[in-house]
Amino acid sequence: MTALRTLCAAAALTLFAGVAFAQPVLIRNARVHTMGPAGVIEAGDVLLNDGVIQAVGVDVAAPAGATVIEADGKVVTPGLFAAYSNLGLGEWGLDAEANDETTRDNFPLSAALDATDAFNSTSSLIAINRAGGVTRALTAPEPGSKLFGGQAAVVDLSGRIASVTKARAAQNAVLGYAGAARAGDSRLGAFAVMRGYLDETKAYAANPRDYKSRARDNDMTFADLAALVPVVEGRQPMIVAVDSAVDIRGLIRLKTDYAVNVIVLGGTEAWRVARELAATNIPVILDPAANLPGSYEDLGSTLANAARLQSAGVKIAFYNPDGGATHNLRLLTQQAGNAVAHGLPYEAALAALTVNPATMYGLGDRLGSIEPGKAGDVVVWDGDPLEVTTRAVAVFIDGRAMSMQNRQTRMRERYKSLERGDLPFAYRGQD
Amino acid sequence: MLRHLLLAATAMTLVAACARKEKKSEAEPPKEEKAAAASESQVDAAAPASNVIRPPKDPYPSTYSPYASGVTLITGATILTGAGERINNGSLLIENGKIRAIGAGNTVTAPEGATRINAAGKWVTPGIIDIHSHLGVYPSPSTESTSDGNEATAPVTAQVWAEHSVWPQDPGFTRALAGGVTSMQILPGSANLVGGRSVILKNVPGRTVQEMKFPGAPYGLKMACGENPKRVYGEKGGPSTRMANFAGYRQAWIDAAAYKKKWETYWEEAEKYYGEATAAADETKKKSRRSAKSADAKKDQKPPEPPERNLKLETLAGALAGDITVNMHCYRGDEMAFVLDMAKEFGYKVAAFHHGVEAYKVADLLAKNGVCGALWADWWGFKLEAYDSVRENIALVDAQPNGCAIVHSDSAIGIQRLNQEAAKAMADGNRMGLKIPEERAIKWLTLNPAKAMRIDKDVGTLEVGKMADVVVWSGNPFSVYALAEKVYIDGALMYDRSDPKRSPRTDFELGQLTNGFTGGSGQ
Repeated sequence: MTALRTLCAAAALTLFAGVAFAQPVLIRNARVHTMGPAGVIEAGDVLLNDGVIQAVGVDVAAPAGATVIEADGKVVTPGLFAAYSNLGLGEWGLDAEANDETTRDNFPLSAALDATDAFNSTSSLIAINRAGGVTRALTAPEPGSKLFGGQAAVVDLSGRIASVTKARAAQNAVLGYAGAARAGDSRLGAFAVMRGYLDETKAYAANPRDYKSRARDNDMTFADLAALVPVVEGRQPMIVAVDSAVDIRGLIRLKTDYAVNVIVLGGTEAWRVARELAATNIPVILDPAANLPGSYEDLGSTLANAARLQSAGVKIAFYNPDGGATHNLRLLTQQAGNAVAHGLPYEAALAALTVNPATMYGLGDRLGSIEPGKAGDVVVWDGDPLEVTTRAVAVFIDGRAMSMQNRQTRMRERYKSLERGDLPFAYRGQD
Repeated sequence: MLRHLLLAATAMTLVAACARKEKKSEAEPPKEEKAAAASESQVDAAAPASNVIRPPKDPYPSTYSPYASGVTLITGATILTGAGERINNGSLLIENGKIRAIGAGNTVTAPEGATRINAAGKWVTPGIIDIHSHLGVYPSPSTESTSDGNEATAPVTAQVWAEHSVWPQDPGFTRALAGGVTSMQILPGSANLVGGRSVILKNVPGRTVQEMKFPGAPYGLKMACGENPKRVYGEKGGPSTRMANFAGYRQAWIDAAAYKKKWETYWEEAEKYYGEATAAADETKKKSRRSAKSADAKKDQKPPEPPERNLKLETLAGALAGDITVNMHCYRGDEMAFVLDMAKEFGYKVAAFHHGVEAYKVADLLAKNGVCGALWADWWGFKLEAYDSVRENIALVDAQPNGCAIVHSDSAIGIQRLNQEAAKAMADGNRMGLKIPEERAIKWLTLNPAKAMRIDKDVGTLEVGKMADVVVWSGNPFSVYALAEKVYIDGALMYDRSDPKRSPRTDFELGQLTNGFTGGSGQ
């Protein structure tokens, strides 16, 4: 048994985190938010083995060869799951060469695009966000000039080449004003085009060969229609960006008419439709900081959105549209903390960061909570994870300890002293 | 992704909008400059009889008038004074809009009839000051109709004044108030090398912008480094390179210096001609007396002609004269170093580098030159020049001897929780071994921006005699759960989280959807 010392000194952590352990890891004496039936376990232990959570509880025995981490009352949660992002599809903004988030102009394909074709597991953003406790993310292509962006994938943030957890986990689409802007500058156009795609997809799915031989009056590509088949068959959820209550009601009708499995993204006015959303089992991925009438469809924005939706029984998760869908997924905890400050129950806020996104994308059996048999995605925090002054001190993905180093920590090490040295700064901090 | 197109466009203009340099106040000179400026504007207003032509310095004067301030005694609070001190179980007395007394325990007494606020368990800080906001010039709702922050028609538009774009009905002001923000500098955007004049506002709703203008605050000038001007003008005649950016700034300063000289020469000659005794003309006057023939000579001379006014050069000359603070939007450390040299070349001072994602790389140069870094805690990567971010940026700028760190927002969302941004920066600084207590970190939100904006004689700390801009927080403001419960501006209770009657709602939102009172101002 390798006994590591208490995880208090950052230096010790760094050493520890620099190595990926294949052997079992026992995290001992933590406040464990399991997000599962076991609830919160005070002075709990979590045993990771073979990539999964082997045991969670009090006084879990360390198997032979296990690395033991004394958490000393620190907080353990499941790895955070970013419900919506463009992670790995862009490295920095405003530069087409460094971005695959979306297509330009009148590029003909949309729904057929697949995030896994461009996802870059070595993006520097991955280690940076991982150091903030994010272990999984849905990464989605953004709609270009059509209503659909393409197929989003669930990925892990290990940085390894094979880090796609679930390809084609969701289709990504827009309605609302963003949809209108792509369909004749009218919501009427957006809904008509959306229904047109769904109708044509059904016709296509019924008999692709026959469909292809028919004369058509639309410019939908066969590839896009083929990609939408799992959506119309209800097998693949479709994320739809809508904010106003009017647009959300339209989306609810769409779900009723077509039996598509939709998820609201944005939903600044979703609280006004909370009961209908709950009744139709439509989750909402929202920005809990949105409280400005930023546009005509946001007039009802309020910081109470998350709390009101949750209390109505709507499943919620969070995202951060303000540059946060790529570079700052690590701030999801701050968003959740703010939702709590405005009335969301604490455990519901944690669920929005963990188990809720996992279930939205059909991964509830593998991810989102600390239960035996689930993936070994676990984070140790040096305090309340939703508090802005707390940081993750250890992150595990599939049972392996992840490095907490990243481009930003190296940059800090290089420049923390500005004294002129024997050699230029370019020689420092490369470890 | 919501309003992807719209947001992208807005983000670009916003990002493109932000640069400002400012003149950082030193111990004494700013006060003298301010006094001089004030007396000159008085001359403008009160001495129309003068024959010497002087362009008005304050043609759109503040009409701000504080609302009724009772006598308020806040007791039992943890007070962060903004001057670097922390008072446990502290008391604060507000009277006539000013801070009348501050101290520990029961050392502060109030007259009978004072409103007493038991703030046990709560924290009290100076009102938060945001040195970088586009509220009003990029208001909510964000539409073509309201997009008034970037005059992106020429790379140097020093002639435009942000106050002429500010929409006082921007709901964002009310949200910022609920976040404890009491003063803001509203800047033009950063599309241009020189974007125009800023305006400093008190966060008290007004029908007119003048009703919001911070009395006596100097103007600021907004300038921008790097990518934004290149991107905006690269295909519109330039600049298309960073070297052309600098050529553009330098030409502007050369023109401004020549313009400034013309006016100074004219004033000297005109004062001599008319025999007017102004402080600035003392020397001339003495000489005139000595020669003793100016009165006779005048008959034969034509009166001096004033130079033609040029609004663009007038603002730039004001910056060279030190009347207008210089706010420089700049991301990269190497560019900041050139800007510091350029300031020496033309004899002006940069008050603050705004955004400064790489400020930590040149934190020593900033401190040596007395320039503040107005920074985010962790916003980064939205373009290549913002790629080298570190979470310790603010703390590292602060840690330099005489370092001056400011937490700024540049965002209608971010301005609502600047306290959280400071908390993150403090936490990351402390983790790397810097020792930053809350009483120090609060200065990033209060005293430091006040100094850079040269309003620190009035606000920025809870010191006796200063304006009573005060926030009562539900708890430690360096926590995500803390909320501003009461916000006083000049002693008047402008926001109370528990009282819908003390929560402003702008015209735009009046009669729209009612969300129910959530404690958040305006929503």
